[in-house]
Amino acid sequence: MALFLLQRLAALVITLLVASLVVFLVMEVLPGDPASIMLGMNARPDTLAALREQMGLNEPAVTRYLTWIGGLVTGDLGTSVTYGVPVWELVRERLSLSLPLALLAILLSTVLAIPLGVLAAAKRGRATDVGVMGFTQLGIAVPNFWFAILLILLFAVHWQVLPAGGFAGWEEGVWPALQSLLLPAVALALPQAAILARVTRSSVLETLGEDYVRTARAKGLTRSAALWRHAVRNALIPVVTIMGLQFSFLLAGTIIIENVFYLPGLGRLIFQAIAQHDLIVVKDLVILLAAAVIVVNFVVDLLYAVLDPRLRGRSAP
Amino acid sequence: MSLLSVRDLSVKLGPAPILEAVSFDLAAGGSLGIVGESGCGKSMTALAIMGLLPEGARASGEIVFEGEDLLALSEAELCRIRGRRLAMVFQEPMTALNPVKTIGFQVAEGLRWHLGLARGDAEARAVKLLDRVGLPQPRFSPGLYPHQLSGGQRQRVVIAMALACEPALLIADEPTTALDVTSQAAILDLLAEVAEEAGLALVLITHDLAVVWQNTAAMLVMYAGRVVERGATAAVFQRMAHPYTRGLLAASPGALDAPLPAGRRFATIPGTVPDPRHRPAGCVFAGRCPRVQDDCLPAQPADFAIDGHAVACLHPHREETPL
Amino acid sequence: MRDPGSNLGSDLGSDHGSREIWREYWLRGRRSAAFVFGLTVTLALVAVALLSLIWTPYPVDVMNIPAKLQPPSAAHWLGTDQFGRDVLSRLIGGAVNSLAVSLVAVGIGAGLGVPLGALAAARRGLVEEVVMRFNDFTFAFPALLSAVMITAILGPGAINSIIAIGIFNIPVFARLTRGAALSLWQRDFVMAARVAGKGRTRITAEHILPNIASLLIVQMTIQFALAILAEAGLSYLGLGTQPPAPSWGKMLNEAQTLMVLAPHLAIFPGVAIMVTVLGLNLLGDGLRDLLDPRLRRQR
Repeated sequence: MALFLLQRLAALVITLLVASLVVFLVMEVLPGDPASIMLGMNARPDTLAALREQMGLNEPAVTRYLTWIGGLVTGDLGTSVTYGVPVWELVRERLSLSLPLALLAILLSTVLAIPLGVLAAAKRGRATDVGVMGFTQLGIAVPNFWFAILLILLFAVHWQVLPAGGFAGWEEGVWPALQSLLLPAVALALPQAAILARVTRSSVLETLGEDYVRTARAKGLTRSAALWRHAVRNALIPVVTIMGLQFSFLLAGTIIIENVFYLPGLGRLIFQAIAQHDLIVVKDLVILLAAAVIVVNFVVDLLYAVLDPRLRGRSAP
Repeated sequence: MSLLSVRDLSVKLGPAPILEAVSFDLAAGGSLGIVGESGCGKSMTALAIMGLLPEGARASGEIVFEGEDLLALSEAELCRIRGRRLAMVFQEPMTALNPVKTIGFQVAEGLRWHLGLARGDAEARAVKLLDRVGLPQPRFSPGLYPHQLSGGQRQRVVIAMALACEPALLIADEPTTALDVTSQAAILDLLAEVAEEAGLALVLITHDLAVVWQNTAAMLVMYAGRVVERGATAAVFQRMAHPYTRGLLAASPGALDAPLPAGRRFATIPGTVPDPRHRPAGCVFAGRCPRVQDDCLPAQPADFAIDGHAVACLHPHREETPL
Repeated sequence: MRDPGSNLGSDLGSDHGSREIWREYWLRGRRSAAFVFGLTVTLALVAVALLSLIWTPYPVDVMNIPAKLQPPSAAHWLGTDQFGRDVLSRLIGGAVNSLAVSLVAVGIGAGLGVPLGALAAARRGLVEEVVMRFNDFTFAFPALLSAVMITAILGPGAINSIIAIGIFNIPVFARLTRGAALSLWQRDFVMAARVAGKGRTRITAEHILPNIASLLIVQMTIQFALAILAEAGLSYLGLGTQPPAPSWGKMLNEAQTLMVLAPHLAIFPGVAIMVTVLGLNLLGDGLRDLLDPRLRRQR
């Protein structure tokens, strides 16, 4: 088990290093000189040169890469060219919006998808199943930003019960902040829930055919007791993998959804940073998001061991 | 009055008849072997009694158990009997246990479900049950998971689960087929022992005549969804009236310490069990029978008594014909 | 789930690909409602897109300010936008854009991914290792994030969104092709071809690819639907097709600011995207059911 963990950790670090190298190289190709962006078009050549020197832009690429990685490891993410503040501060500020948003979306999609998927599997072939499957087909086909616009039309324009965009901030209290995150979270959750419900359904259908479900029925458990106590837990093992993979889609989703709702989150920050050629911010954010995806999938692998005792190492009596 | 009385049990899966007119009785504490090739309806009979037929299967006839017709009961009523009065041990111990639950939980589950025992009490009982089936503490902690046990050990867990609520009838469907030879004997001995001890009736389903001979007082021989020969085990073995029974015996692997009439053996029964959808109108065994005659083909033969047991054959072995 | 290739590929039948089999698929396909719906929607869409090349109810990008922001009417079935342009005409024009971008992007993905996957399966060893590590690696980057980065580097526009979407289709096809091809390499008829002295390239062309064609077609349909969504997302962010050319995503972006005045502008482009994706997904599902040999045996 310890060896397994070490191997997985080593793979994780290598993947992160390769990812950082790729991000760095891509950024090297990106046109635009951070120093001249910072000072504007009319900067004097000598101030420009001085700034370039100060920002370390004259160093060879290898040195700059190593400096960047060293900074990432020690928590020094550099300073944003356009905002003039440390990137770490920007990230922390934006994360206070994006993280709750992502968690809320995951929560909504899980709470919606797993019961629906189990229900569809339990009622296989009947009206409920057909209905749930139809709903998921729609959920997959609806672009999340359009769904977001529809939600705004309905809840903000027509009924005027929730804000159309912007973020109240946590200082104003939890409820106003949650209110401004609710519609974005629903928009993010819908396509995820649709996919998750389909995966849950097919996974439950597969486990329902297992011998141990029949054993449970032979003990006298009712159909639904056998389903919930014996089939669902096993069926969730593959579902968790998909949830891990979905995390990456969720991050991508925040880029677009935060733009729809004008939310000052990480997704919007990265979009703006790219548009403004704020290379340091882009570089840091991309590697942080990639790291988040890699780490989440690592955690999912570990979760597997919790859900499936067969992976906890063998100790024959 | 018998504990279990099956009358004219028929099962159809879609349009295909899987079982046809199966009848037998089993007294409390008695033992019955059901023998036949795979696909002959043995397991279907067991599942029909348990009320766990696959989706799309319909049963008709009567299965009277402790005075109640199981086929007439509602699903909720069946759930009260299943696991409580009526228990089953399955063929495949490797998959019959839930891989993500401990064996202690799985043995205790029935106790908590049927008897409403508290978790602690149920688990204490589970430990005793595990001990009874040969999985003593501390080597076999109830906290073990199925994958930490061998096939034979898992089958013992399944037996402990079946015994948990002290049922009146235990159905064992090929309980040793998936096990190695040494575990086979041990599991069969265990089943016979616990059945005797608890006074429960045992239905033992197998394709192995030797197992029936050693473990049961009465037996059925099934072929293509029908009972072709039934009676006291000793009587059936004595006479072997149906040509199919003789074929099975000849095809049995290994030596059988039964009083065999000496003679020629044929190693296999030529041909295969007919597809349920295309069973012949007459005797279902006619196509493979070495004794087939013209009158076998038009109509299915009815049971008739011969030397104290029943056989469904127009031309059974009556005398001590050499095998 | 992890390796769709092994699902279908391992069960692929013997060396077939003849006309009768496709005919049989067609006969069976007509009985599946989802398949018929998906195929109808897809064909109708392609027809409308082609039609728009020679005719639309109104010119796609000629402004008519006096007629701006009209609700749906007999003259303008789906109303007009903020420049008085006919929404229906722009939707029809947008279909060409959506389909073309997605088609080329999936083409790039399959065109590079399939040979890579086939190569990995045929060569094994280091080549396979490199291809597969590249695949694993791309999974760490959310596709849309990377697409945003790529379009940001190359600049916004239809061509660059094609490249961005196309790049992220490559590993999907490489993975699928490798999975399916690997199991085929173990099959008797491939062994026989190897014994007969045929080279790896020739075996790949003559035996492997024809046998995974159905699998690839199903995946292309599904990726096509995903590409439509990705293209819409990029144009919504302003990174895709640039104005005044019509594109569904861009139309939604513009509609958002006018939501209170003209909600119809925010409805129809979304419906167009949804119906297109739904049609393609149902077509893909239907094709999968038809072509999956495991299901075939059950019938």
